[in-house]
Amino acid sequence: MAMATRSVVSEEKNPRGIPKAPFIADVEQFVGGPDGDADVPLKAFNDAIGKYRFMDANLAQRRQGLEEKIPDYQKTLDMVEYLQERREGKDKAADDADDLDDNDDDVAETSAKPLRTTFELNETLYAEAELKDTDTVYLWLGANVMLSYPIPEAIELLKSKLSAAEKSLANTIEDLEFLREQLTVMEVNIARVYNWDVKRRRERREKEAATSKG
Amino acid sequence: MNNLRLVEHDDENEDAAEVTWEDQQRINTFSKLNNRMRSLEDKLHELQQTKEALDDLATELELADEDESVLYKVGETFLHMPHNRAMKRLERDQAVLDDKLSSLGSRSDDCQKEMNELKVALYAKFGRAINLDE
Repeated sequence: MAMATRSVVSEEKNPRGIPKAPFIADVEQFVGGPDGDADVPLKAFNDAIGKYRFMDANLAQRRQGLEEKIPDYQKTLDMVEYLQERREGKDKAADDADDLDDNDDDVAETSAKPLRTTFELNETLYAEAELKDTDTVYLWLGANVMLSYPIPEAIELLKSKLSAAEKSLANTIEDLEFLREQLTVMEVNIARVYNWDVKRRRERREKEAATSKG
Repeated sequence: MNNLRLVEHDDENEDAAEVTWEDQQRINTFSKLNNRMRSLEDKLHELQQTKEALDDLATELELADEDESVLYKVGETFLHMPHNRAMKRLERDQAVLDDKLSSLGSRSDDCQKEMNELKVALYAKFGRAINLDE
């Protein structure tokens, strides 16, 4: 009896195009009756599992990359926002020079002096630097490219990159969870088809033994 | 396929409860929540450590000389800032951290609650045939 080749993965997919694994409720029906061939579906299941595992490894790598980048973006953003705050404080102090209250007094004082920092020149080696007041920052965009931006634009850019990375991370995590589920369903399918096959072989053996005796 | 083993014929067809689609989904969800809980707990642990560091820093600053400028770490570099500015910044950073801690904490609690409900349902049906604890 010819068996129609059935696709092992269903047509459904998740938002990023990962196919959903079908759950085999009735093994016998899936294999095509009590004489159906169990090896073909088993091989197809194993292939599907291989693909799922490959996707899983890819996504796990992507997730790791994102989880490293996000704190970096956050730190750069913090620094640029600090520079911005400092400038704003100074402008405010310049505007109402007549009635400085305590806050502005301090800010005016500190921004009159150039900004001093101690930065990491190399591991365990720090150097001091003085930053003159500036309205541009240079952002490293990767691939040996660095661009200068005015501070407000830099803040915009960093914020948008940060939120894109966070969204991508959320999607990747969702995909990973979905993938694990499909992997589990597939493994359960394999177990059920295999067990059913084993049981059927045993029943056949017993039947043959019974008929040959009688 | 590395944990298949041959089962004795007698053990094979006990009254193993049949796994329906709903059961499978419950098991899947439980596994998903379990993994999620684990990564949430790792993050919570990290945040706790940062919180302790910030709290220690707050104590130090209170005891420090008020005229001394403080090297406050912003991003990867240290900025020399006056004492009161550093205090204000520290308070802000602590508030942000506490927010993160509480949101992660509540997500973790939600996970835990859902997992407990699933445990009850799955143990009811499968009893000893399933293991849902560490």
